[in-house]
Amino acid sequence: MHNYRYTLKTLFKNRMMIFWTFAFPIILGTLFHLAFSNLEESEQLNTMPIAIVDNMEFQSNEALVSAFTAMSDETSEDPLFTIQYVDEEKAKALLKDEEIIGYVFVDASTHVMIKNNGVEQTVFKLICEEIIQSNEMINTMIEEKMAQVGNMHITDPTAMIEQIKQDVMERMQEETSYLNDTSSEHMSYVVIEFYTLIAMACLYGGMLGMFAVNCKLANMSHHGKRVAVSPTAKGKLIFTSVLAGYTAQLVGIALLFAFLVGVLHIDFGDNLPLITLLALVGSFAGLTIGIAIATLVKSNENMKAGIFIALTMLGCFLSGMMGVTMKYVVDTNLPFVNRINPAGLITDGFYALYYYETLDRYTMDMIALLLFSFVMIFISMFQLRRQRYDSI
Amino acid sequence: MTVFKTYCKVLTKCKWPILLYTVILIFFSAFNTQNNDTSTMFSATRPKIHIINLDENSDVSKHFITYLNDHSDIIDFDSEEAVSDALFYHKISCVITIPKNFGEDFYQGKDVHIDIKSTKDYQGSLIEMMLERYVKVATAYVSIFDDHHDLFQAIDQTLATEVETSIASSLDSDSLNKAALYFNFSNYCLVAGCVFVICMILTSFKSDHIRKRTIISSLNYKKYNRQLLLSNGVFTFVLWLFYIVLSILLVGNAMFTLHGLLYMLNSFVFAFCSLCLAFLIANLVKNKEAINGIVNVLALGSSFLCGAFVPMEMLPEGVLKAAHVLPSYWFIKNNETLKTLETLNTDTLQPIFINMLVIFAFSCLFIIISNIIAKKKRKIN
Repeated sequence: MHNYRYTLKTLFKNRMMIFWTFAFPIILGTLFHLAFSNLEESEQLNTMPIAIVDNMEFQSNEALVSAFTAMSDETSEDPLFTIQYVDEEKAKALLKDEEIIGYVFVDASTHVMIKNNGVEQTVFKLICEEIIQSNEMINTMIEEKMAQVGNMHITDPTAMIEQIKQDVMERMQEETSYLNDTSSEHMSYVVIEFYTLIAMACLYGGMLGMFAVNCKLANMSHHGKRVAVSPTAKGKLIFTSVLAGYTAQLVGIALLFAFLVGVLHIDFGDNLPLITLLALVGSFAGLTIGIAIATLVKSNENMKAGIFIALTMLGCFLSGMMGVTMKYVVDTNLPFVNRINPAGLITDGFYALYYYETLDRYTMDMIALLLFSFVMIFISMFQLRRQRYDSI
Repeated sequence: MTVFKTYCKVLTKCKWPILLYTVILIFFSAFNTQNNDTSTMFSATRPKIHIINLDENSDVSKHFITYLNDHSDIIDFDSEEAVSDALFYHKISCVITIPKNFGEDFYQGKDVHIDIKSTKDYQGSLIEMMLERYVKVATAYVSIFDDHHDLFQAIDQTLATEVETSIASSLDSDSLNKAALYFNFSNYCLVAGCVFVICMILTSFKSDHIRKRTIISSLNYKKYNRQLLLSNGVFTFVLWLFYIVLSILLVGNAMFTLHGLLYMLNSFVFAFCSLCLAFLIANLVKNKEAINGIVNVLALGSSFLCGAFVPMEMLPEGVLKAAHVLPSYWFIKNNETLKTLETLNTDTLQPIFINMLVIFAFSCLFIIISNIIAKKKRKIN
């Protein structure tokens, strides 16, 4: 208990350590939030600015005029286009200055001018085609109807044509959808960034464990030498030091969680007990890496910290911290890498809780994390046991 | 020369972080500039989709899939979990399920519905539009055409009607995009590289016992300062030159155009600003351990807030407004403006040069502040 209390005090007094394990994840989380808060919204289909060359040919094309008017109706909830009716020179200038994504020019046929290829431009072209196609539909249907009626006497062919025209126009402009959307509500991939952040904080917390163990190693510090000659059982000392490291680590994780949920409103799903359990196990995995590096690497403290940070950052990188795509690429091409990468497992555990309705994937991640931690502990114990120095 | 030699000696100790920043830069640029679309012809975006067909025997579902195959890339997966993952990470834009009685309902004129799971982004909306279009045309024709063959032919014919699409720009927008992306990201490497190395070296020179030794030596303090300043300048110049060579390797020929030259000039002005910023930080901070934290917060902060990692147009307006107080904003804004400039003349280049002047003004400000601080800290007890 005595050792536990003093180790805790030493840890909290190490300002650099506290910065990296407590403050840095919170700063990074704030930056993520500022940078990514608009990301998904800007990837959604918004009102597109376009121009139409307002010439005689356009005005005489009833289908185009009415369709574009309907699609730019400002009173509707989300109009597809905001349209500027201009002459060709002005349209070119607008496109050049990127004030519009493209413009429509009608002569004998309809032309679409754009500045570069892209999804927005494809949507614009698709909509223009849809308008042209409704004309084509009317013609095809009239032709077919005429062929079917053949030589039979039609009392009022103009009425029939008008009827078909009206039907098609109604159909093309009708609001009812043929699609039944069953998409999940939990589709925000940006949350993965924040999950990797938690993973990073869990693993960085291992530095505290590493520092605590270093203080008890005779080959690392004078403090360690004094401890080594003391009559207290080494196992007990190491255990209480590690426990102090773990306590400090959990304080940091709790602060980060409170910040992410309370201030940044990040969605972690609804299962609070399982989220907490994952954070506890994740931090434990980080702690075991810290202990393993402290015992395995026979070098000074800076070297150990360097190796620890490099390993953690590599793990976070592979789990999608510097780009969510990376996690998917690794998961699909080299699945075993993220099965032994604790950052990948922690991130995947949170992802499973957020996105999947079943707990199979979460359970697998937890088992893998625990296994990883026990392997690390086993290696560290094997290294530490019966360590004796005749002189040092 | 003594000072410069010592400078180089300390510099070699910092080679690993610089190498790390460079590796990140290369990796990021290579990862994000794989797209090689240099055409000046229109090519439609083809969304990636996955189809689950529960109505395999009907000819209309087969025809529907053929239509989708022409306009999108259909991707198959081993398991349901793989499909869910791919949709979440936007590797596919939509999962389309054709319901069991689709064909039967379709021919009987009943309401037909297709189940979809979509990413809700641009590509998701695009594929939704394609689906709606097919079903609208097909359900309109099915009431008129009795023969299935004629029906499908009519659907195909209508859906194949296209508008003529041309690209107005003569710019090699792909290469310029690559260049902008590369230089935007270099913001992180330049700030982190300069601040980290220069601060590390200057704090070594400023540690009390070394400073005391230097002060009592015969070396004139003006000469000493000049050499130190020159060494930092040389380092920044070499770092900048290294990143320029890298840009030529990664971006290619576009760097040898006037646009490329302006990108280089812009990054040179910014490198100078980074040098001044590093000087300021070195004057403020004495503790070597704190430097790492400051570098990370500064480099990551300015990169995230000014649009080096996430494109500027995707950042919230408030963040961009706040970013005006950082030189990185003006640097990145120039990169973004440059890629859209079709004609380069005094009128179009004016905003570019004004932004460069702003960066230069920031540099001057940093120098003035560091001088004031240095003056106050000159005394040693």
